Formats: sequence, structure tokens, C-alpha cells
Amino acid sequence: MLALPAAPALLAQEMPKIEVGVPDAGAETVAHFFSAPQLAALRRLSDLLLPAMGETPGALEARAPEFLDFLIGESPADRKQLYRAGLDALNAGARRKYGKAFAELDAAQADAVLAPLHERWTYDAPKDPLAAFLREAKADVMAATVNSREWVQVVSQRSRTASGTGIYWHPIE
Amino acid sequence: MALTPYDVLIIGSGASGGMTAHTLTKLGVKCLMLDAGPAFDYDKDRSLRPVYDLPYRGFGKPGRFPHITQANEFTAAIWADEKENPYSYDPKDPYYWVRIRRIGGKTLVWGRASWRLSDYEFKAKDHDGFGDNWPLAYADLAPYYDRCEPLLRVSGRKEGLPQLPDGVFLEDQSKDGPSVTRFLEEAKKRGIPTTKQRRAQGALASSMNLLLPDAMATGNLTIVPNAVVREITTDRKTGLVNGVNFVDRRSKREMHAKARVLVVGASTLESTRLLLNSGIANSSGVLGHYLFDQFYVKNTVQALTPEAGGGGGYIARFTNLKSKDKNYLRGYAVDFGSGGTPDPKYFPLYGEALQKALNANRGRGFNATTMGSVLPRFENHVSIDKNVIDAWGVPSLRIQARYTDNEFNMAKDAMNTLAELCQASGFELLEKHDRMVPPGESIHELGTCRMGESPKTSVLNKWNQAHDVKNLFVVDGSAFVTGGSQNPTLTISALAMRASEYMAEQMRKGDL
Repeated sequence: MLALPAAPALLAQEMPKIEVGVPDAGAETVAHFFSAPQLAALRRLSDLLLPAMGETPGALEARAPEFLDFLIGESPADRKQLYRAGLDALNAGARRKYGKAFAELDAAQADAVLAPLHERWTYDAPKDPLAAFLREAKADVMAATVNSREWVQVVSQRSRTASGTGIYWHPIE
Repeated sequence: MALTPYDVLIIGSGASGGMTAHTLTKLGVKCLMLDAGPAFDYDKDRSLRPVYDLPYRGFGKPGRFPHITQANEFTAAIWADEKENPYSYDPKDPYYWVRIRRIGGKTLVWGRASWRLSDYEFKAKDHDGFGDNWPLAYADLAPYYDRCEPLLRVSGRKEGLPQLPDGVFLEDQSKDGPSVTRFLEEAKKRGIPTTKQRRAQGALASSMNLLLPDAMATGNLTIVPNAVVREITTDRKTGLVNGVNFVDRRSKREMHAKARVLVVGASTLESTRLLLNSGIANSSGVLGHYLFDQFYVKNTVQALTPEAGGGGGYIARFTNLKSKDKNYLRGYAVDFGSGGTPDPKYFPLYGEALQKALNANRGRGFNATTMGSVLPRFENHVSIDKNVIDAWGVPSLRIQARYTDNEFNMAKDAMNTLAELCQASGFELLEKHDRMVPPGESIHELGTCRMGESPKTSVLNKWNQAHDVKNLFVVDGSAFVTGGSQNPTLTISALAMRASEYMAEQMRKGDL
């Protein structure tokens, strides 16, 4: 007669903590808010704003543009408009100057279209829709990147202060 | 079984309600405390989470907190939900009303800055002719400040400034780096007084850990969470208040609690909202009026220091002290600090060039935030908006507040002064501005249920006691007559302690 395996005494008494993944660990965002030309421009912009450097992932590795497609799609109307108009302005500017979409420009050409990013920051938002969009996008792309799993896992191994963790207050009943 | 009789019913558990309970229970007074929010376990109800594991990658749910700029995705659950707790204003004059409904109130997250007011505030009218004096003087409140500071474990450095009285401090012995030292010297040359921050110590310096446990230990305090108070009830024969109607936050069950003496410490605007909804204590007609706060010009200057930084401090009000020497009344204070890296937005760069600039400037940041005195004006006021009802059916407030040239001129002067100090100290100025955040955002809202000598022009007497209803006390920031440029929490605590001792004595004598 076969002996039954010994009961796992500890496991019977205690619930183990199972480490689970996050959606980005095994899946891609299905981007659906921006049009194809808008998303292509956002991807190119994101890569320019925060490229991968050495082992540090950039905005594309962090899937910042796809995340922003989700986030902006959930946002109030004025923010949606800021992004759509801004991305359209990037493509329009690229076509006017170089006859190409923004995504197809080389770095020097793109830099000319991104001239407002070389303006000094002022407290009041710029009136020009492209300039207003670019300063928001600069902040958002950087935050979406440094808050990503890809960034946190690489950078937090190097620096104890860039750990990407915080104390989360649980929702109340 | 009969209900336990309580001597005093306290509404609110923050700086004012907490200090009231702390003071009264030690004097043997039985207290029942109601709070609109839940009790919670500081260890179990919070946990360490990576930012990428939050649903919105740290950005927070878009549009959830249009008026609470302090909220982020980690702390979202702390703040009173804006959909459940609506209010209104004229779209031309936005007002940011920031609330926390939890045991401990806003002391769970406050910046802990702890400054005394002086007779430049208590007797402001005597000094510059504007507005009204408080019905008490600095000397009346000083003994209570002396006792509040050790309770909150306030650190600081004594300076002997008449406009910023010294207190009972844990001595601040922190050192400043060379850049801040030069800044302090440049300030001194211009007759601008500086000191160290005065701040309650500890990661959490809250009513929940510093006040309520001692009160509970007396056996004289019962706390009922989730009690959303609808209105105060009145005995028609005597005109005295006799209790409150409240609704249980979770079940929406309607309840009534009796009170012999009622203390309202629900926060400046919530207390006034409750009194207005109850139709009491307003024979003067000024209930809801004289709303003010401190205006904040966040990061008035942002600069780079030549040396990696370290250190910081506070500029005390220095304008219009001996005579009127500016194109505005009263004055401003400044928080300044160095170290860290300035926000990427201040660098007109992107990509690799930006990352290189950030690395090169690590630790060289310097910024200063202006906190200015706001003149209390009758026309800045709140009223009940019957069309705006919260999730428990309680009518909410319409808030009307607007800054005027006095504040705008002061902000401009602060900007120019700070820019000059930075440049004289050899800092590279990245940005300066004089744009204040909307009224309310500093979370220093004050007034609307003010104290005064005369029942014709004020709601409360000098003991925070309603002129019209002697067993009703309002002990939070709504009682303020003027606010100066100092953060108000320490003064709120000292006033609550003083009112509580008066209350206990009146009860002992049988006058309450």
C-alpha cells in the first residue's frame, strides 16, 4: 500500500503569498484612441524625448506612447484635444517643412519642428497649441517611462533612491 | 439600557477636534467624538507598492481630483472624493476645496509647519487700520502655544522677532551649505529676517498619534467614525443646541446624538456649512463671510546654486512692520530650500541632452515658495447651494473668493525680492513668477465663523463660543479674524485648547 505523502503542515495553516505579474509583464496595450498617424508621431516624439541610453530603457521600451494612448483616451476633453491637436500639428509642421510625416523625419529635421522645446519654460502655458502640447508631452512621456516596470526594474537595481515604490493607501469601504 | 450620557459632543477629529478631546478628557469631561470618515489601521490599510503596479502608472485616474492637486495615485484614497462631496463656485473664480474625511483629518498629511501668530495679526486693525482686531491678544494665547508646541514636538530656532514669536522648541541645529549661507547673508544685508523651519517632528505628527491616544487612555473618550453630520438640533424652549442628526456613512441609517455642550471642529468650511444648514448662530448675518487663506506662489523662484546644495529655511514677514512701506498692506513669508535636481521642465532641452543636464545639475536646485497674507473681506463668502447635494443628501456650499490688488502687489514684490536675493547669492535664475494658485489650494482656508467682541459683527466670542448659543463652540480655522502669513494649525490647536479649558470651567461652575 502506498504511503500518503505527509500533509504540508505549514501550508495547511497559512496562506502563502503568491507573487503575481502586472499586465505589462506579458501583454501589450491595444492602442485605439489616437489615429494611426497621431500614434506614429507620438512614438517618434517619445523616442526623441527620452531615448534608451546604455542599459537604461527609453520611452519606447517602456511602451510610454501606448500607455499614453490609454491614459489620454480616459482623460477630460481638453486634454484629449491638447494631444490630438498637438500631434496633428507635429505632422502638419513636418509636411510643411519636409513633405513627410513627423515619424519619418531624421533627428535634425525633427529638432526643427520641436523648436518650442528649446524655449524657456514659463509659468503661463504658451498660446501656441504645439508649444502647449509639447511641454505637457515632455512631462507625460518622461513620467510614463520612469514609472514603467521596464525602467523601475533596471534603475532600481542601480540606485536605492530611484526605487519607484511608494506607500499605497487602500481604498476605503 | 440607557445610553451613556456624554458631557461634550465633538464633531471632527483633526487638529481642533483632537486637541479639544485631548484637553477635555484630561479634565475628566466625558466626550463623544463624531467623524464623517472611517477609522483605519495605519499598518494594515497601507502597503508598499511599485508605481507600475498602480492602474494608471502613478498618473492617477484622470479627472478624479480636479481640485486636489496634492492627491496622487498612491494617496488617492485619503482625500474626500470630489463626486461624493461636490460644491460650487462661479467658473470665473475657481476655488479649490480640499478635504479629508478620516479619523485624524488633515493632520494625517499636513506639512507640519508650526508658527505662532503675533499681535501684528491679533491687533492688525490697530496696526494698519484694515478690518478688525481679534477679541484676544497674543498674551492671552501665548500660554497655550507654550503647551501645544511640546505636544506636537515642534522644532525650531529662537530669533526674538516680534512678528514671529519664539516658542518652546526642540532646538534645530541643522547646518546650511555654502549656497544657502550666502543667501542668508544677502537677506541679512537687506534687513530681511530668516530662521529655520518650525515644524512638528516625526513622519506622522497627527491628531491620530499625538492627541487621540492620550484622550482614549483617560477612558473619557468614545469615537464614532463614519458619522456624517447633517444638522445641529436645537431645543426650542431654551434656544440651546441639544444634539446632532447624522447619517451613517456606509448604511445611510439616520441617527441622533444628544449633546449638553457641542463643539464643532469639522474644518473651516465644513463647520460653517453645518451651522448654515442648521440655521443657527447667525443673528449677525456674518456667518459664511470673511473667507480668506494664505495665497501661495509655488516655486516663485527656481534657481541653480553654484555648489551642490543643502539647507534651507524661512523668511519671516518683514514688510509694513514699523510703517507702511509698500504698495500693499501686511506681508508675506517664504519657505526656501536647496538640494535635489530642478524639474526637467526648467531645462529647455530634451532627449539625451536633457538627461546630461539633469545629471550635471544634481543637488544644485534651489526654490522658494511665497505664502502671503490675504485680507479678510466680507464679500469673500460661502453660502448653501441647495442644488448641490452630497452623497448623503446634505446641501453643500457655493464658494466665492477672489484675490485683489493687495495680494497681487504683494506677490510681485515677493518675486522681485527673491529674484534679487538669488542673483546676489550667485545663483542662476531658471524661472521667476508671481502667479498664485487658486484660493483654497494652500489648504489654509480660514474665517467664515469669526470671533469678535460684538455679537453684531461676529459669530463667536473670544472663547470660540457662539454669541447666540452659549453651549455651542466652533474651534477650528473658521474662527480666525485675520491669518497673517503663518501656517494656521498651531494657532488652531492653541485656540481649541484654550476654549476647552474655558468650557470645562464653565461646566464645573454649572454655567453650561
